[in-house]
Amino acid sequence: MRRLLLLLSILATLSLGSCSTKGQESLQLHSEADLAGLHVATIAGSCYDIDLSKRNDITLILYNYEADMLESLLIGKSDVIVTDEIIFNANICRETGIKIAMKGTEKFPSAFMFRKTDRDLVEAVNATQRRMVEDGTMARLEKFWLEDEYLNAAYFTHIPEETSGTPIRFATISSMAPISFVVEDNWYGIETELAREIAKDLHRPVEFKMYDISSAMMALKTGKADVVMGAIFITPERQEQFLFAEPYHDYSSAYYVIDRDAARNKVAFWKGFKKSIRQNFIQENRWKYITSGLWETIKITFFAILLGSALGVFLCAMTRSRRKWVRSIAGTYNWLMAGIPMLVLLLILFYVVFAGTSLNATIVAIIAFALNFASGASGVYDTALSAIPVGQTEAGLALGFTRLQTFFHIVFPQALKHGLPLYQAQCISLLKGTSIVGYIAIQDLTRAGDIIRSRTFDALLPLLMVTVFYFILAWLIGLLLQSTLPKKKSL
Amino acid sequence: MITVSHLSKTFVNPDGKVLTVLKDVNCEINSGDVISIIGPSGTGKSTFLRTLNLLDPPTGGSILLDGEDILVKGYPVHKLRQKMGMVFQNFNLFDHMTVLENVMYAPCKILHMPKELAREESLALLRKVGMSDKADVRPSSLSGGQKQRVAIARCLAMKPEAILFDEPTSALDPTMVGEVLSVIRSLAKEGMTMLIVTHEMKFARDVSTRIFFMNEGIIYEEGSPQQIFEAPRRSATKAFVQQIHKEVFELNSPDFDFPGMYTRMTRFCIKYNIPEKRETTETITQLMVDEIMADYRPLTVRITHSDLSEITALDFMVENLETSPLQAEGVNPASLEKIRSLCKEVIEEPTTRGFRVKLIL
Repeated sequence: MRRLLLLLSILATLSLGSCSTKGQESLQLHSEADLAGLHVATIAGSCYDIDLSKRNDITLILYNYEADMLESLLIGKSDVIVTDEIIFNANICRETGIKIAMKGTEKFPSAFMFRKTDRDLVEAVNATQRRMVEDGTMARLEKFWLEDEYLNAAYFTHIPEETSGTPIRFATISSMAPISFVVEDNWYGIETELAREIAKDLHRPVEFKMYDISSAMMALKTGKADVVMGAIFITPERQEQFLFAEPYHDYSSAYYVIDRDAARNKVAFWKGFKKSIRQNFIQENRWKYITSGLWETIKITFFAILLGSALGVFLCAMTRSRRKWVRSIAGTYNWLMAGIPMLVLLLILFYVVFAGTSLNATIVAIIAFALNFASGASGVYDTALSAIPVGQTEAGLALGFTRLQTFFHIVFPQALKHGLPLYQAQCISLLKGTSIVGYIAIQDLTRAGDIIRSRTFDALLPLLMVTVFYFILAWLIGLLLQSTLPKKKSL
Repeated sequence: MITVSHLSKTFVNPDGKVLTVLKDVNCEINSGDVISIIGPSGTGKSTFLRTLNLLDPPTGGSILLDGEDILVKGYPVHKLRQKMGMVFQNFNLFDHMTVLENVMYAPCKILHMPKELAREESLALLRKVGMSDKADVRPSSLSGGQKQRVAIARCLAMKPEAILFDEPTSALDPTMVGEVLSVIRSLAKEGMTMLIVTHEMKFARDVSTRIFFMNEGIIYEEGSPQQIFEAPRRSATKAFVQQIHKEVFELNSPDFDFPGMYTRMTRFCIKYNIPEKRETTETITQLMVDEIMADYRPLTVRITHSDLSEITALDFMVENLETSPLQAEGVNPASLEKIRSLCKEVIEEPTTRGFRVKLIL
């Protein structure tokens, strides 16, 4: 426990001591030519990434999350960041001390994306969008969400939702205002509202799920989602593989730099820490992401360990089999599991093997981790059993125990002692390994941190909080496993 | 009680080599027998014992226990083993339990004996083997002799009708052999049926009702201790019970490695605990081989030593020879005199194939 407190204090110090501003002029930008020689940060896979990667006179730094990108600007790893002009609104600019140095000239039409075969759905969406333009709904949405009106108003959702029927499944790649974002389990944002209008016209319920851009496209292709949204720009490459609805808005880009003129209000350490805590965990009940993510992580870890340990028993029995072909099957399995990256296994299971089934992503994750864990567990069992001399088994048999009794009464209790530390290491490695389940749209502990980050643009604190919880879970696993060891053997 | 006929056991090594350890073992074991199984290493003594309680299932033949074939499929082997205990060379105590727990574990778990009763009986058994004061310690803190006594108590706790002892003293420091043997001796006095694989000849002779001499995968000779130790019928038995060790050198080519021969003789003397005879052996051999019998080739030189009689002998044998080389003309009398002074006895005798000069050191 004392160690945990120490860790907490180290992390807290880290999270606050990260930004420094030097007394310089703010960076001036007049055209894209001015970017030459600069470190430019943007979101990986975005159209800015595609555009800027053609230029060889700049250093392009790619990020997955806006929060990381912003942090890179603040600590001086990049000189300028390029993204949609709506992402960092006036409030955020003021709070973090950045400003728009220049707006891009190019317009990026943004639209919902569909499977090639879903032409009917596209027509329906187009019809809804046209209706919204005609009756003025679109104009009102744009005014509210895109002109920063939402900053000073309660988020609204006035559209009644259907509750029966097959839902339209929207895979969103944005968890940021004003595109689409969650506050206390409710989705808000311009595209969310748009999606609800579409669903209303189709008399179907809606379902939103957050994905990475690459996972979202995979989900769309494999039928795990019907629509991909989240400020998707129409590019020729995407048009080759997917259908787009008519664009609902043309976004433009903005180049953000550090605003050196603005006097950043220096806040005292403790006050700043309290503010960060409030912003990241208390406001909009954001701690709920952490608790629900924690629950998800616990579920996956626990059941994967349970299932994997059981599978490991079979695998271990196969490795120790007298028959060569049985051993070689187990050997091949272990070889495969050692070689396939966990993420690839997870994606293959989710998007290929179980693509046609309605199996819940959490269950797929449990299966994937269990398959991998079985291999490790079998190795642990094998090592532990090999450490027990064959004489112990012979003595048990000679006394008149059956084979099974000999194993459970004599070999197993001794093997437990040898194997437990290894087994515990496997469990903890599994626990930490589960942090990749965000790729299949599970909101686990890590993803919970990411969601908070994408709302508060605080790069570190949510991650540090998540880290603390991983530490606690690892500690609990250790405690739980150690308790299975009998302190004193009693008959 | 147990009838063994035509028992055989072959092992197949991982590399596919077939190893026949037991060829054709036949015997009858009666209730109350104390049978010592003796014989050179690698002749299947331990394997034979382990086939009896099916720790190593035999490859052929039959074992009848009170007339019932224990090799039929579905025979309750664990029931058989409850009646036939086993004591191992390496003790195989359960390291994760205390001494007392080791003894009472099987009766509690297998016979479902009430814990209190099991504890009392186990303590009584530990007292019997002199280990009751160590009841609550872990086996790892015991000496080898103590471990083996606990192992015997553990075996007795199941109230077996017979006990198989697999070299119970081979892993022990010589100072600890006695304590284990005395426990086994007292069991013999109580009339326990026992089969003991052992290298302790004196013990085997004292304690056994019968002796099995195993050699080459069969029971080579069987009989009372008196018969086996004092009047063995077969030469291999005799060599073994008198514990005769030998080393043979064939001087049959001009390339013969003389220095190598002396090294091996020295090693022989050290190995069999007669270092004081090292020099004499070398002097005599040199005189005989280089001088007196220098013209006799091929020549076979043999050194033998019996642990039992503590007699060491050097034999010099030549084929197709009828007269003693010592009596031949031109032998230096001084050399001859020296040999006679170094030996206890000089025997010159013709053999079926030639002539032998035997020098007893």
